[in-house]
Amino acid sequence: CKGASGLYFPQSDYSESIYIGQPAGSPVLQVFAMRDKDSERPHFYLCWQNPSRAPHYASWFHMDEATGMISMNKTLEWDDFGSVYPSSMMSFKKLSLKAIFAIGPVQRASCHLRNTVGINLIFINATAPPCDEITLEKLCFPDKEVTPHITENRMPGPLYQLRRLTRSHLCLNYTISYGVDADDPVPFEVNDTTSELLVTRPVDREEREMYRMQIVCKVETGETINKLFLPMHVNIYDENDNPPYVNGTDTEDVVVEFNRMKGAVFGNLSVYDRDTTPIYPKDHPQNKLTGTMITNDTWTKNMFIVDHSFREEKAIFGNVRGTIHEYKLILNKNLSILENRSFQMDYLLKDLSYEGGDVNVMLHFNITILPVPIRFTNVSYVFTVSRKSTMFSKIGRVCVDNCQKFQGIDVEYQLEIVDRNTSVDLQSCFSAVGIGRSLRDVSGMLYVNDTEVLRRAECQELQYVVVATEQQLQLQARTQLLVIFEDEYAQEEFVDQRMLSCAEKRKRGECEAFRGLGTPTGRCQWRQSTDKGISQNYSTCSPDLRTCPDGFCDVVERKDTICPQDCTRNTIIGGHEAGLMFGIKAGYGTCYCFSEKCFCEKDDIEEAMCDDVCKTIIATAV
Amino acid sequence: RTATVGRGCLLREVHLNVTDLGLGYQTKEELIFKYCSGPCSDAETNYDKILNNLTNNRKMDKEKPSKTCCRPISFDDDLSFLDDHLEYHTLKKHSARKCGCV
Repeated sequence: CKGASGLYFPQSDYSESIYIGQPAGSPVLQVFAMRDKDSERPHFYLCWQNPSRAPHYASWFHMDEATGMISMNKTLEWDDFGSVYPSSMMSFKKLSLKAIFAIGPVQRASCHLRNTVGINLIFINATAPPCDEITLEKLCFPDKEVTPHITENRMPGPLYQLRRLTRSHLCLNYTISYGVDADDPVPFEVNDTTSELLVTRPVDREEREMYRMQIVCKVETGETINKLFLPMHVNIYDENDNPPYVNGTDTEDVVVEFNRMKGAVFGNLSVYDRDTTPIYPKDHPQNKLTGTMITNDTWTKNMFIVDHSFREEKAIFGNVRGTIHEYKLILNKNLSILENRSFQMDYLLKDLSYEGGDVNVMLHFNITILPVPIRFTNVSYVFTVSRKSTMFSKIGRVCVDNCQKFQGIDVEYQLEIVDRNTSVDLQSCFSAVGIGRSLRDVSGMLYVNDTEVLRRAECQELQYVVVATEQQLQLQARTQLLVIFEDEYAQEEFVDQRMLSCAEKRKRGECEAFRGLGTPTGRCQWRQSTDKGISQNYSTCSPDLRTCPDGFCDVVERKDTICPQDCTRNTIIGGHEAGLMFGIKAGYGTCYCFSEKCFCEKDDIEEAMCDDVCKTIIATAV
Repeated sequence: RTATVGRGCLLREVHLNVTDLGLGYQTKEELIFKYCSGPCSDAETNYDKILNNLTNNRKMDKEKPSKTCCRPISFDDDLSFLDDHLEYHTLKKHSARKCGCV
């Protein structure tokens, strides 16, 4: 029953010390419960987790049902100390008690989680010190820091007992009184007769989250007056007393076009709430907003979800914590490229724990879904390639319109021969060019697939049709492709059938003279580093410096050992930083690779024979 | 071929800075580098003697075949360190654990 009990303990635990000789009937500690209504009267009881197995010291204490005052039932003896945890050798022992409050009188008190508070009494194995041995601090203030809290919008009332009840009788000649001192007005004061710290008025967390003050303890010892100060702060706990609101727009225009992938995020609407939203415990209902999609259309319900996240912000709420809720539209499935519609989707938010009644916030998403045509613009592709180029040289890319922006749209590319009736001899020319789907975007990458046919004069101009096929609906688009091979065929090189990777070469000279795999000019290219230490710009020999090494292992490079600098999965020897998945991210000096094993080392190290190594090591050891 | 543990071929160690390794890492960290050194003549076989004779008699042209050599036959645990740019690196097979004539 909500509202039946607004009562709460303003402290999470209480503690006090007690001594041998503590007389029966003397007060120990007072607990308070803050009230919600004037009519509420809390009844206090000591409680036990299992009442039939309460510790024997339970009977030493008495709790006043009406005032929450704990006092001694008996005078503490030396034997009593020994009877608690007899095996412990400590000079003090901790007596744990629990107290609860109830709205009405209770016959048997059992501990409930919500309205239970822990009380720790430190039982010291000594009699109380005489007055002249006790410091004024110990007389005035608790041993442990006390940080009470109150909930906003609640009744004023007593919060904390300032007097140290177990010690106040030690110095009978002293007069101790308390006061509150603060730089700016605080809603707290001291009741002079009871020495209770009082809350004077209801407070608002959205105005101030914490009050700082000094507790002043005035001790009159007859001849002198001493004033002691203890800083204390009171935290203000939050209630859901503010409705969520929209600041600015509650409508977002969303256009779904090239990104149609499941999980794609569109739009962003913010809803504000001046209340805080706790994260823990997870099922805490406070200030959680529940949202509902307002639509009867099952297609919309299946296709979209609204993602909710919230965060805490201080600056925009006048330096007091508040909540910003963010709502984003998310595609729940891959969207077909033919889908073409526009509609408005409303999203209703309710703050169920808000106490001011039903407050709804309506968000609107104006969704436009445009179809994506799979087509090539009217230009046909023409690429020129040197006949000196080697296997797996990159020729260029083909791309259906806007393919670079595609996400969640899968397009495969194929090459077809224009005239299928040509002679078998001529048809073999067409093996010269291959195509692969780029791994980075939805384009097709053309590469040299066979260099042997390039010897033949009739294979110099090759006319293809590029067929792009969208995978979900098998929609096709076609365009013309003309690949022209120019220059003389590198005749002298043809003898060497075995093509090797440029990456094997460690010196500029031998690199630039080498005809490695994947070189569009027929010669490897050298990259000279000028950096010291381990650098991303390490020296290396590459088939094509435009794409290797660029930190990305593309569809052609992964076919063979064309660019191990980007594609190696093996360990790299020498100073280096490995790439995220494959390849070398950074290396020291020159990096070179043999059959996928890569080395990075400073250029001036000469390769030494085993026995030379032995000699060097013997020389250093002696 | 299994490695023979030659008498002179021993594991030695030296205390170094990581920068001394010459791998290009910039760091202030240090390590114990263990290496193998010592003669392997007592581990030689007829094969090694024949090779020796052939090279001395210049029966072999330019080729200089490798001799028995004192080398690590197992390696130390990996070494990880933080460099001056607060990045971690791990060295594998960088230091010897056991030596043998191979």
